[in-house]
Amino acid sequence: MLGTMNFPILTWITFLPILGILIILLVPSGKDEKGQELSKKIIRWVAVGITFVQLILALVIYLNYNPALAGVNNLKTFQFVEKMSWITATLPMVGNINIEYFMGIDGISVPMILLTAIICFVAVFPSFGIKKAVKGYFAMYLMLDLAMMGVFCALDFFLFYLFWELMLLPMYFLIGVWGGPRKEYAAIKFFIYTLVGSVFMLLVMIGLYHSTGSFNIIEMMNAANFRGDSIFGGLNTTIRYVAFMGLFIGFAIKVPLFPFHTWLPDAHVEAPTPISVILAGVLLKMGAYGMIRIAFPIFPDAFGYFQTLIAWLGMVSIVYGALCALGQHKVGKRDFKKLIAYSSVSHMGLVILGLASMRPEGTVGAIFQMFNHGIITAMLFMIVGVIYDRAHTRGLDDFGGLAKKMPIYTGIMAVAFFAAIGLPGMSGFISEVLVFLGAFKSYPVLTIISGLSIILGAAYMLWALQKIFFGVLPEKWQGPWDPTRLIYKTDDVNGLEMVALIPLAFILIFLGVYPNPILNLMTGSVNQFIEIMKPFVYIGGL
Amino acid sequence: MMDISDLIKSISLFKPETTLIVTFMLAMILDMAFKKSKNIAGYIAIAGLVIAGIFLFQQTGVNYKAFANLLVIDSFGQFMKFIVLMSSLIIIVFSFFSNELHNAHTKLGEYYTLIIGMTFGMFLLVGSANLIMIYVAIETMSISSYVLAGYTREVKRASEASLKYVIFGAVSSGIMIYGISILFGLTGSLNLFEINQFLSVNNVATLPLLLSGLMILSGFGYKISAVPFHFWTPDVYEGAPVTITAYLSVASKAAGFAVLLRFFKTGLLDSVPGTSEAWQLLGNIDWHYVIAVLAVLTMTLGNLVAVWQTNMKRLLAYSSIAHAGYLLMAVSVMNDNGVSAVLIYFVFYMLMNLGAFFVVQLIANKLDSENIDEYNGLGYRSPVLAVCMTVFLISLAGLPPTSGFIGKLYVFSSVINSGYIWLAIIGVLNSVVSLYYYAKIIRNMYLRDVESAKTKLVFSPVTIAIVLMLAIPSLLFGVYFTPIVEWANYSMNIFVGN
Amino acid sequence: MDLITIAFYFFSALTIVFGAVVVFTKNIMHAAFSLLFAFFGIAGLYVLLSADFLAITQIMIYIGGILVLIIFGVMLTTRITGVDVKTGKIGKIQIGIAGLLTVLIAATLIMIFSTSKWYLADSKPLDSTVNEIGTALLTNYLLAFEAASMLLLIAIVGAAFIARKKH
Repeated sequence: MLGTMNFPILTWITFLPILGILIILLVPSGKDEKGQELSKKIIRWVAVGITFVQLILALVIYLNYNPALAGVNNLKTFQFVEKMSWITATLPMVGNINIEYFMGIDGISVPMILLTAIICFVAVFPSFGIKKAVKGYFAMYLMLDLAMMGVFCALDFFLFYLFWELMLLPMYFLIGVWGGPRKEYAAIKFFIYTLVGSVFMLLVMIGLYHSTGSFNIIEMMNAANFRGDSIFGGLNTTIRYVAFMGLFIGFAIKVPLFPFHTWLPDAHVEAPTPISVILAGVLLKMGAYGMIRIAFPIFPDAFGYFQTLIAWLGMVSIVYGALCALGQHKVGKRDFKKLIAYSSVSHMGLVILGLASMRPEGTVGAIFQMFNHGIITAMLFMIVGVIYDRAHTRGLDDFGGLAKKMPIYTGIMAVAFFAAIGLPGMSGFISEVLVFLGAFKSYPVLTIISGLSIILGAAYMLWALQKIFFGVLPEKWQGPWDPTRLIYKTDDVNGLEMVALIPLAFILIFLGVYPNPILNLMTGSVNQFIEIMKPFVYIGGL
Repeated sequence: MMDISDLIKSISLFKPETTLIVTFMLAMILDMAFKKSKNIAGYIAIAGLVIAGIFLFQQTGVNYKAFANLLVIDSFGQFMKFIVLMSSLIIIVFSFFSNELHNAHTKLGEYYTLIIGMTFGMFLLVGSANLIMIYVAIETMSISSYVLAGYTREVKRASEASLKYVIFGAVSSGIMIYGISILFGLTGSLNLFEINQFLSVNNVATLPLLLSGLMILSGFGYKISAVPFHFWTPDVYEGAPVTITAYLSVASKAAGFAVLLRFFKTGLLDSVPGTSEAWQLLGNIDWHYVIAVLAVLTMTLGNLVAVWQTNMKRLLAYSSIAHAGYLLMAVSVMNDNGVSAVLIYFVFYMLMNLGAFFVVQLIANKLDSENIDEYNGLGYRSPVLAVCMTVFLISLAGLPPTSGFIGKLYVFSSVINSGYIWLAIIGVLNSVVSLYYYAKIIRNMYLRDVESAKTKLVFSPVTIAIVLMLAIPSLLFGVYFTPIVEWANYSMNIFVGN
Repeated sequence: MDLITIAFYFFSALTIVFGAVVVFTKNIMHAAFSLLFAFFGIAGLYVLLSADFLAITQIMIYIGGILVLIIFGVMLTTRITGVDVKTGKIGKIQIGIAGLLTVLIAATLIMIFSTSKWYLADSKPLDSTVNEIGTALLTNYLLAFEAASMLLLIAIVGAAFIARKKH
């Protein structure tokens, strides 16, 4: 067992990108054109190498993870734990301040770490298309990678918050510098929205610290650790409700849950392809992860109070996102990316609905949906990227009849689309069924309404599929994409794109047929999680 | 009556200030003697400050009421004096590289001399425990700063800045001295310790006490540019040489906050044992709310107005008003936690604010402008400088992993710990607003005008090294801040003389 | 009404009236001369408070020194005598707000002065205060005294810098 060995694997997987950043910064820019090209090439492959090693480490973690140990609120059953004192200061008046470098994982974080490693690895390949300031781009990319990995490993709230905020700046630059025409607006909107969420988180964090005397997330889950006279002491107090709402909104902005979602379409549309992939694939998951790891188990009483509201918000997100995606076929400029962005809102709503049900199957489904949605949306954005790179447009109206021109591409895309719709045999199906099963027991009416959105989802996805691949190929795309054949030798997807897309498609189908490798990881932890929540929440069917 | 042993001990504890006086004289005389050397006074000033720093360091752990209770030597004062001393040192180094100053004058003797004079004034202010001393100290630093603000007097806006500064300064110190006279009339003493004793024994009417307190606050508020005493700040900051702007925004504020805290704790603290958690203040006035309201006004106005600024100095001026607001938040909780938050914040604020101003100065040296549009494409024209500027701005915005975040963390921590949730919420919303205008600069540097990359801006290695010396600690203290916190906690006890 | 009260009102009126003239007159010479009477009134008030040393100082330094300097300055600067010291016009709203504030503050102050219980020092037999002030300045207020000298030095350096001709 690696867990028992003294190899700090979580530190390695988190901070490995630092090594990459250092190497990238040290690569000389090159004097002439040829040298510059070489330097860019080295930088790109360094990023590939680093993320590949990360992926290997994630697999090592996955293989050595013992699903029998649940974690969640029990420190002893966390695995790969690294705990050391980081900042200690004696305050004669207040007591000691103690911040720990505390990392560890359980069944909820392992799928996320796996997802992060996969997405960060595959998103490097579409990044090869970035021509401007390659060095800066990959440095920021790896920084983002580090922050995301850190969020999923941290068990100290301070550390968690540090990683959470560390992600803001790279993201700002990645959208702002390498983004589309309205990049400035999208970048600052993303920045401000996320910051609004996280400042409330900061206040709650400070309050929790003063109540428990530590930043340890696991200790915060135990009501016995709260001093009675402290600000969050006791149960079902107004201040606890307010604090829960602060945390919840902070995470909901990231998810994004209706009505906090308005930054997402802008950010997605303007971000370059690989960043859209990461944004949809990993960043949105951080919001939901934060709820499961922090907001819900620390304030179970407040969650119980707001449970129905949260379920409603989930439902509204599902329906609203689907309607907006469908609306992309009706009004204005029909943007492929916007369609996927809104479908993300809808699918993440499903996660929230599953969590709100507090049924084991619903919660497992929700986490599995997070994983699946990450893979599916990553694929969808890469697919958009493929034709955008060639045709320099994402308008749905601009395409048609691509099936003949790009048969392999059509095949891959069909897999992604069907998985997104939730077709049986695809992983998306499993998670959706689990979520609906759980949610139906707790909130039957909401679930039925949400179920209708499946039909909407099928409608907009199939519509888009039909629009792009079938029908008549427009006049202007009749010839090859690249008449010179310098960049694109064939009209279909090239090798690099396949490297990124095929494994994802494989994962989707494999998990659709045999989901146990992921489901087994989390059942123990989810049961433990439900145990914490049970006394405070409404669980249907019990 | 002061006896001779008290005098001898007082003088021995007055060494840092004495050093400054000697430095002042030496700088003046040697500047006249060596007419050829341009920066001679500056070198002497640096030497003097270093020696003063050594003497100051020797006072670690001393708690003493010197000169018949006129001056208090304690660890709180020592901390603040170090902040003042460090910023004076850094500013003098900055001044060596200021084209603005060097183009305006062939010699800068008086400039460096007056900086030492101002440092002396601030040292006195930090330690003053007597209203007369406070007044004299404030005037000492004010008069130096009036002249310094208009030092490039050939520049019209500098003269204007100086004049505005004088007028507002005179009005506010007039109001302050009026308040002092009322307080004297109520208590019969100018000494904060005696005032404290009088108030704890006798019942003093609330209204006159409140009024005199507010009037005295206006004098302090002027120094820390708290709303509504801030009117001078943008104009003076814009008109004064960048070095002096930076100096006023850090050192002058540090001294102002020191005297503010000392005034409340020494003068108004109810010295019943066990009140260290939250100071019980004498006289039935809820000073918490008075200061909290000032804090809210200050940070909100500072941040909202900063959003519209296009001149970097003005923008940073409003940002410094906003920072005064955050600091006032920590003051408003009126306990030792708040004091320690102020101290921690000041260390980081000094690093990041001086750093940002130095970048502004370097850019102004090259481009002769402080307009925010001149920063377009800076990320490509001078990558190192732009990265450092980004660090400073992110730190000012209070985002991790920079030291500014730690400062904010402690301020909010002290506020929440005292139960002022509403104040903390207003505070964090303000820091979101502040991000908008800091990000505007970052946007200009990296997102705008990428074509200008062709014309690189080259800065001398020394200046780059100085910027890095401020930027690297700004980052490092963001992830490891134990020493600063320990030091601040050691120093947070304001000596009340029991 | 005894003589002292009459004298008090006389000196107060003198100070206030001429203080007002200083503020409101447009002619800078008039302002300078009115200041003389205002200072004199204050000196008179000091006498009534049996602060003999302070009264003499007031007359010698403020009237004999500073004011004479001001008047010299005004007279020697030929162009300044005719200059209208007020510039620009102030809007009605500003005047309104300022007036309101003034009335409010004045009312508060008057109320405070009339109702508060002030600290009363022990009454001492009338004697020269020079001795006491001298002792205080060199013992209890030594530091303030010395710091003030430093303040003056800094002010002189600053003033010399401002007054110096351009290089």
